[in-house]
Amino acid sequence: MTAILEINDLKKVYEGGFEALKGVTLSIERGEILALLGPNGAGKTTLISTICGISTSSSGSVFVDGHCIEKDFRVTRSKIGLVPQEINLEPFETVMNTVRFSRGLFGKPRNDAYLEKLLRQLSLWEKRGNRIMELSGGMKRRVLIAKALSHEPSVLFLDEPTAGVDVELRKDMWNIVAELKATGVTIILTTHYIEEAEAIADRIGVISKGELLLVEEKSALMKRLGQKQLQIELQEPVTALPEALQTENIALSGDGSTLTYTYDTQAKRTGITKLLADLAAAGLQLRDLQTEQSSLEDIFVGLVQEKST
Amino acid sequence: MNWTAIKSIYFFEMARFFRTLAQSFISPVISTSLYFVVFGAAIGSRIQEVDGVSYGAFIVPGLIMLTIMTQGISNASFGIYFPKFIGTIYELLSAPVNFLEIVIGYVGAAATKSLFIGLVILATSFFFVDLTIAHPVAMMAFMVLTCTSFALFGFIIGIWAKSFEQLQLVPLLVVTPLIFLGGSFYSISMLPPFWQTVTLFNPVVYLVSGFRWAFFGLADVPIITSLAAIGGFTALCLFAIWWIFRTGWRIRS
Repeated sequence: MTAILEINDLKKVYEGGFEALKGVTLSIERGEILALLGPNGAGKTTLISTICGISTSSSGSVFVDGHCIEKDFRVTRSKIGLVPQEINLEPFETVMNTVRFSRGLFGKPRNDAYLEKLLRQLSLWEKRGNRIMELSGGMKRRVLIAKALSHEPSVLFLDEPTAGVDVELRKDMWNIVAELKATGVTIILTTHYIEEAEAIADRIGVISKGELLLVEEKSALMKRLGQKQLQIELQEPVTALPEALQTENIALSGDGSTLTYTYDTQAKRTGITKLLADLAAAGLQLRDLQTEQSSLEDIFVGLVQEKST
Repeated sequence: MNWTAIKSIYFFEMARFFRTLAQSFISPVISTSLYFVVFGAAIGSRIQEVDGVSYGAFIVPGLIMLTIMTQGISNASFGIYFPKFIGTIYELLSAPVNFLEIVIGYVGAAATKSLFIGLVILATSFFFVDLTIAHPVAMMAFMVLTCTSFALFGFIIGIWAKSFEQLQLVPLLVVTPLIFLGGSFYSISMLPPFWQTVTLFNPVVYLVSGFRWAFFGLADVPIITSLAAIGGFTALCLFAIWWIFRTGWRIRS
């Protein structure tokens, strides 16, 4: 695979002095799905906006398929499709007209056969004559995708495509992304849901406070991030752990009333069944059980600390 | 030049106009008729003639100018402000188009709309007054130039405005008074000498005067001065828009 997008030391400093991007360097392979994971205000949208030409960069360079986004903006922009985070659409226009407008704006000649195929793929064909204001939120998001794909781009940016949408629509979006990947489109999506990145991405980048903390293959990263803790409250406190339970994964709280079992959700066996069997064999009565997963925020803190050491 | 993009912007904007075609027609026809009733019939009965032209006919160029200037500004300012307001401007900024193509698309559509309304008013005038146009080609050229230059000015206002109130501010507080005080409904020779001199600082005087010359061969200022004024105004607006897109002022963060 060859890189379709090369970002070198990209910096963005706003007028007030706020550093939204602190030297981001990233290479994206042709045909892959990269998920950029990060909390609100991490710089995800700024990064996308700068690549697409909505914001200007303070320094650094970006190349799309070997073309500079500033010098060859006509070439690079025609290769990129953008689905923004907000539903920004002309309310009084029909679906077909608004998608046709996008295609023309990107300099492509009218091609109703392609647009029909696209609208059918996105289940919008039946709604082509409807005005945007008559559509549901989910349909509007599909229109945004149709607009972004109307000029047949090779790179598609999806800025938080499932923020604030219900579970069903989220799954629908994931299916659409999978179908697009099958057609050879490179997809870069931003999200703050770990499970979203897990479901659809090939690689995951973690961005926080304008810095790209890491970019890794999904499987490797999920293994790192997939640690979970099982808290077991005992009916009666114990002074020490029974011998069968003395492993490095189990810790006893100071007052002896709670056991904490750390396990890997990605592992073939989590060891929970054996743990419960061992507890029963040791004659310990349980009062309550609960599981906890590190929040994304915890993971970021961990990653930042790891980077600084 | 991305002509496909220019065409797309132009026709997308024109579609907005055609959606409300009835209002676009009726509104200028009614207001023009009212002007003829008030100015032509009520005041005209006392003034009779200005420089040998009946007052009713004399105000026609001023009426057309008043409408195409305000329409040019409002069409273009709304045309670019609306995508900013609803957020669809992202698409324009991320498209492979340069500032000139965006301007041709938006300003071209806004100018076409105001030209269309100007012609409707001209047609309406024939129902009220006897009108002969001395220089029809020059009249059309003046009309096209005025529609274009004021649409360019409106485009700047649309980019500058941060709210719908601001969008109305310049047209209401600056442009309308300048048009009314720019000899739209009178010849500046009717003013006392001091106010004649003051009026010469009003750029609209040159446009109305040139346009009136195209109708009746009469002008308050030399025709070449009128052409220079409209040319200068257009160049100034184009320079301002070039600067806006170069710096990204109020459109690109």
